[in-house]
Order: sequence, then C-alpha cells, then structure tokens
Amino acid sequence: MSDDGFLRVADVSKWYGDEQVLHDVSFEMDRGDVTVLIGPSGSGKSTMLRCVNRLAEAQEGSILLDGEEVLSPDLDVNDLRREVGMVFQGFNLFAHLTAVGNVALGPRRVLGLSEAAARERAEAQLERVGLGDQFDSYPAELSGGQQQRVGIARALAMEPKLLLFDEPTSALDPELIGEVLEVMHGLVDEGMTMLVVTHEMSFAREVADEIVFLDDGRVVERGPPDQLFERPERERTGRFLERIASHD
Amino acid sequence: MAAGWTVALAAVESAAAGAPPIGGAPAIIGDAADWEFVFRNADYLGVGVLLTVGLTVASILLGFVVGFPAGAVEVYGGGYLKRAVNAAGVVLRGTPIVVILIVMYFVVGVPQINLGVVSISSAVTAGILGLGLRSAAYQSQIFRASLASVDAGQLEAGRSIGLSRLEAVRYVVVPQALRRSIPGFQNEFTIVLKDTSIVFAIGLAELLTRGYDLFSERTTAVLEVILFISAIYFVLTFTTNRALDYLGDYYAIPEGESA
Amino acid sequence: MAGATRPATVRERVADSDRSVGRLLLVAAGALFWGWLVVSWVNRWLGGVLVPVGDPLVPPGAVEATLAAIPGIAAYAADAAFVVELSPEIARGTWLTVVITAASLVVGFFIAVPLAVTRVYGRFSAWVSLAYTELLRGTPLLAQLFVLHYGLNLGSYVPDTLSGVFARNVVWVAIVGFTLNGAAYQAEYIRGAIESVEEGQITAGRAIGLSKLETIYYVVLPQGLRYAIPSWTNEFVYLIKYSSLAAFITVPELYYRADQIASETFRYTLIFIVTGVTYLALVLTASKLMERVESRVSIPGLGVDRER
Repeated sequence: MSDDGFLRVADVSKWYGDEQVLHDVSFEMDRGDVTVLIGPSGSGKSTMLRCVNRLAEAQEGSILLDGEEVLSPDLDVNDLRREVGMVFQGFNLFAHLTAVGNVALGPRRVLGLSEAAARERAEAQLERVGLGDQFDSYPAELSGGQQQRVGIARALAMEPKLLLFDEPTSALDPELIGEVLEVMHGLVDEGMTMLVVTHEMSFAREVADEIVFLDDGRVVERGPPDQLFERPERERTGRFLERIASHD
Repeated sequence: MAAGWTVALAAVESAAAGAPPIGGAPAIIGDAADWEFVFRNADYLGVGVLLTVGLTVASILLGFVVGFPAGAVEVYGGGYLKRAVNAAGVVLRGTPIVVILIVMYFVVGVPQINLGVVSISSAVTAGILGLGLRSAAYQSQIFRASLASVDAGQLEAGRSIGLSRLEAVRYVVVPQALRRSIPGFQNEFTIVLKDTSIVFAIGLAELLTRGYDLFSERTTAVLEVILFISAIYFVLTFTTNRALDYLGDYYAIPEGESA
Repeated sequence: MAGATRPATVRERVADSDRSVGRLLLVAAGALFWGWLVVSWVNRWLGGVLVPVGDPLVPPGAVEATLAAIPGIAAYAADAAFVVELSPEIARGTWLTVVITAASLVVGFFIAVPLAVTRVYGRFSAWVSLAYTELLRGTPLLAQLFVLHYGLNLGSYVPDTLSGVFARNVVWVAIVGFTLNGAAYQAEYIRGAIESVEEGQITAGRAIGLSKLETIYYVVLPQGLRYAIPSWTNEFVYLIKYSSLAAFITVPELYYRADQIASETFRYTLIFIVTGVTYLALVLTASKLMERVESRVSIPGLGVDRER
C-alpha cells in the first residue's frame, strides 16, 4: 500500500432531523484500493457512501478526495459527481433510454462529448461489462443482472477516479448475482478504486484491501479481511459475521 | 345578418353588433360605483346561485342513477346491451355539452313540467337532462374503472360463502368500488358545476346568465360583475372539493388506500 | 387477454370479423370526413378552383336524385340534400374549430410544462403555479372567456401584425382564453405524470453529474410526458368540445355557424345532429391519433397497454 490518502473520511457525522445516523465515521483508502463497508441494515453504510458524492449531506467532519474537501459548501457537486461514479441497489437505469442511451447520457450532457463520441464510448463500456449484444435494448427488456451491468457501464463511462457501489447485488435473484460480481472482479483487477457496500462476504473477503464494519452509525472495527473475518477484535463484529455466515 | 338566433347567441351577437364591450383600459380593481352596482344586485345573483346549485345537484343525481348501472353493464354485462351503452357513452362524451343542451331544448323539446305547486320550465328540464345524461356517460366510466379495479378474488370469495353473483357484486364489490370512485366523482362534480354555466346557451337564468344580463344592463360594470360571479364559482368548486375530500377520508377503509 | 391468441370458437371468429368490419367502416368514414374537410378548405383558399366558394363539393340536387332512386333511403333524400347544401358552412366553421383547438393546445403545452415542473420542484413558484391552476380550474371556462372579451375587451389589443389573420380579432381572444385555461388542466395532468417518475431516476441523474434542471429535462420529462399521454388526450378532447363556447364571444366556429344556419332555416334537429357528428368525428380522430402516438413513443418492455 502506497498510503497516498486518496480518500480520507474523518469524523463524519450526520443527522436526519433529531436522529443521528453517523457518528464520527473515519477511514482512509488509497488509489487502487477496494474498501468494503459491511454492517447490519440501518447501520448507516449506504448513507456513508452517499455522503462521499454528496447525494446525502454530512453535517460534520471532513471527506478529502484527492486532497480536495468534498464537504466544502463552495464545491460544485456536479463536478464532484462526474469524478465519482455510483452503482445503485435498484439499478436506477433511465427507463426511457436504451442501454447505449443510458451509458452515453453522462458523456454527452455532462462531459460534452459529441453524439458519435458518446455513443462510441458507451459501446466500449458495454463491451467491457459483457453486454456487446444488448446496445439497443431498453432496461425493461433486460434481466436484473444485465441491468446492473449497464448501471456499472454507465458509471464507468464517466471515467471516474472512484467508484461507489451501493449494495449492487441485493436486488438480484441469486442466479444473477454471479455475473455482476464477475464484472466487479474485473474492475478490481484493472486497479479501479472502489468503495463498496455489500452483503456478499465471500466477495468482500476475496477483493477487499480493507473492511470497515459499521453498526448503529459507528465504525466498530476496521482492518484487512483476513484479520476481520478470522480474528475480529470486537465481539459485535464476530456476532454479525456469524449471523451472516449462517445465512449463506 | 341572421334573422333570429337561438336564444343566447342572438343576445351575444346583438351586443357585438352594437357598441363594442367597454372601451379603454379597464382598471383592475374596478370602479367603486360599479362594485356598488354589483352588490346592489347581489340578491338577483343569489337566485342564480341557487339555480346553479340546484341544477348541479339534480344533474349529478341523474348522472348517478343512470351512470352507475351503465358502468356496471360495461363491466358485467354483455351483448347488445353493453354495445348500446358503450355507443351512447361515446356519443355523449364526444359531443360538446352546448350541442347536447341545444338538442335537448330544441330537438327533444322537453315540455314545461307542472307540479301544481311549482312548475319547471322546459329550459330547466333540458338543462338537467343534458347535463345529467352527459354526466352519466362520464360517471359510467368512473364506476366502470372502479368496479373493474376490485380484485376478482373478492367476487370469488363472495360466491364461496354462498352469495349469488348479484349479491356478491352488491355486498362485496360495490361497497369497495364506490369508495374508490370518490376521486373521479369529485372531478366530475366540479365539471358539472362549472358546466352549468353553459345553460346560458338555452337562456336559463342561472348565475352566469344573470351576470350577463347584469353587465348588459350596465356595460361599465362588466369586469366587476364577471369577477364577482367567477369568485362565487370558485368558492362553490373549492368547498365542493373539500367536502368530497372529507367524505373520501371519512369512508376510507382503514389502512387501505383511500383512492 | 384473448386478443393475442387465435379465436377458437365460431362465435369468436364471427365477433372478430364483426370488429374488423367495424374498424374498416370507421377508417372509411374517417377518410371521407377528412377528405371532404381538406378539399373544402383548399377550395376556399384557392378562391374556388373546384366549385365556386360557398357551394357544396357535390350538387345537392344530384345527391337527392341519386338517393331518391334507392329504395329504403328515398325518404331521406331531401334531408341528405339539405345536409350537402349546408356542408360548406360546416367545413368553414370546422376550420376555425380545428385552428383554435390546435393553437391553444400547442401553446398551452409550453406553458403547462414549466407550470407542472415548478409545481413539483419549485418552492415559492410552486405556490404561484398552484394558485394559477386552482383559479383556472375552479371557474367556468365561459366566465373566463367573458372576462377576456367583455371585461378586458382583449380583442382591441390585438397587434396589427396578427389583426388580419382571422376574419374577426375575437378569434385571438378565444385562442388566448383556451390556451390559458388548457394550460392549467394540462399542467395538472403533466404534474401527476412527473410525480409518478421514480425518485431513483433523479438520484441516478444527479449521480452522473447532471444538474437538477438537466436531470428534469433529460430524465424526468422524457418519461413523465410519455406517462401523461392518456390523460393529456382527455384534455385534447375536452378542448375540441369546449372550443364551441367561443361562439358566445362571437367567434364564427362550427357551433356558431350551425346555430346561424339553424336560426335561418329552423331545421334544428338535422343541423345539430350534423354538428354533433362533426364534433364526434373530430374527437374520435384526436383520440385515435393519440393512441397511435402513445404506442409509437412507448418504451419497449414497459407495459403501457391501457385498459380498453
């Protein structure tokens, strides 16, 4: 690990009204790292993820991305988001656009590429996620796994320096999870910097450089997967992992 | 120029042929003397309001009495009856209300009805028939949709406890469907209320017609009169809507969708 | 349900062919109606190239003679001839009805979209939009036309450049009235459709770096406007029918012409039935047209098949 502090999350707190959903969350990751956020539902993992691209607003703390303060009120959130891609649990594909249309919209309208260049880029990204034969299919014509791969291609087309995954396989039928994880594996191999919220523990174990266990809005424990899975320091971590394992 | 026009257009045309409606730039607030004129004639307009409300209620009721069975026929009926209901609906929904009213008035030629105590002029009868039947055509669509939206399992469950088909519809499907038709019905109610103004065409002296008569009499008060009656219409539609909102909440099935 | 599969029984097959005959008749009637209208209009614009302006396309006498020769219909020959005789006036009035409806609908649409968007996404502007739609939807259209015509005498403010376009300037007043009124109703329908677009669509748009306005324009509206088509068609149909109210501010459209002829000839029954049929034809054309549009722009894979 080069320890370049590419993403530094420090003491981030967030409230929804009176309810505090994040308590001083801190972690770091380097360029090319894969960090996986795990924890029970409602633990604040997704909220934490969304604070990084400001889809959710943290009220306190600091998030430095490549040396720049994400939480700064002066920051143009649209500039931030063109550099930070996001893949959603529910895919959120634009229902009125084809696979190519979904992927090309960002390059065309946000990056200002020409129609032809945006299409070319979209096709290349769809090839990358193994959907070279579905360019002109509409979301409703695709399986869940295919839709999620379009979702990944859409995020990749912006050539992001950080990719956020918000439970990318949770909405999928079990037999469709594999194809999405395969694509994500490929991205890991290419050296993509990824922050992932997931319940897929074997995936986390395989690819993560660091696992962050969140519970009740707090970081309970963090560390390399082997340590966290084999020798958790906290009892709560152990209990959570056991519960998850018994489901598999 | 035309020899004689059907009621309202004659008046409208002669108004146009004579002096054009008030010239110059009218003040937004209006003239104090003209407002005074409006308020002096408030009771005259008040009778118009009564007629408007009466016409609305009568038309909605007629629309319900005819429209609900028509909707049921479209869902549960078949054969020629269903076709006939369907065709009548298409004609009534595809023709302007003013044409329907004129046809009722001149073509059907509904007579004056004498009830001994009160007599109902043929314009009123034509108005109620025209607005009521047109409303029936729309209400049938509302009820058709809400009847069809009740899950088929409800009817089956009704049959399974030994109700006849008619009973199952009556006691199981209809109560649910009626609740679901409240939003559509609300819409229909305000449409009928606003469209009572169109009986102007057959010279029935409801609110708008009386307003027209008033500003024809005093042409400087045109804007004041129309704004005043518009405000009355607005209050009527607004209160009707709120009242039906309340009705919808009141009869909503607990925890179920109120729509 | 059964539409996709092959009709099984003889009865179903008969019913099926019944329907296709009905459809064929409807298409033929539509073609005849629009053919007659367009030829009549063109004839008038070109100063009577086919028949003198004001004359029917076919001589009423010939129609009467032909029909009188057919047993069974002979009794109606005179009526038919009368209808043919008044057809030029009907066509003339229908032209204004079509123009007023189309213009109001199109201009109203461009007012309605911002109204709907501000209603959903605006703050202060949402209240302005709400007030506008409630006010216009809460008062009778005829009263609104009276305000514009008798109250504000809008016809006298028509700019010179627009002044000669129609025979009477009051046509512009009608267009303004229907536009303002229709915009309120269209906005209401579009608002409903916009609200039905999933929240995740907006999130996804924002996540790739589109601004809020860009997300509305590129993501929400393309979907919302599609969803709005069925209810928007209602407004289209309403506008065709309510355009008849323009007669009461002396716009010589279809209803006005019909009333004029009726008062001259006292043949109320026939004239208003013909008028009603003409409106019905316009309304059916509009709804068939919009059904076409809806299926043309429907998003593949998304079930948009409406209830019949």
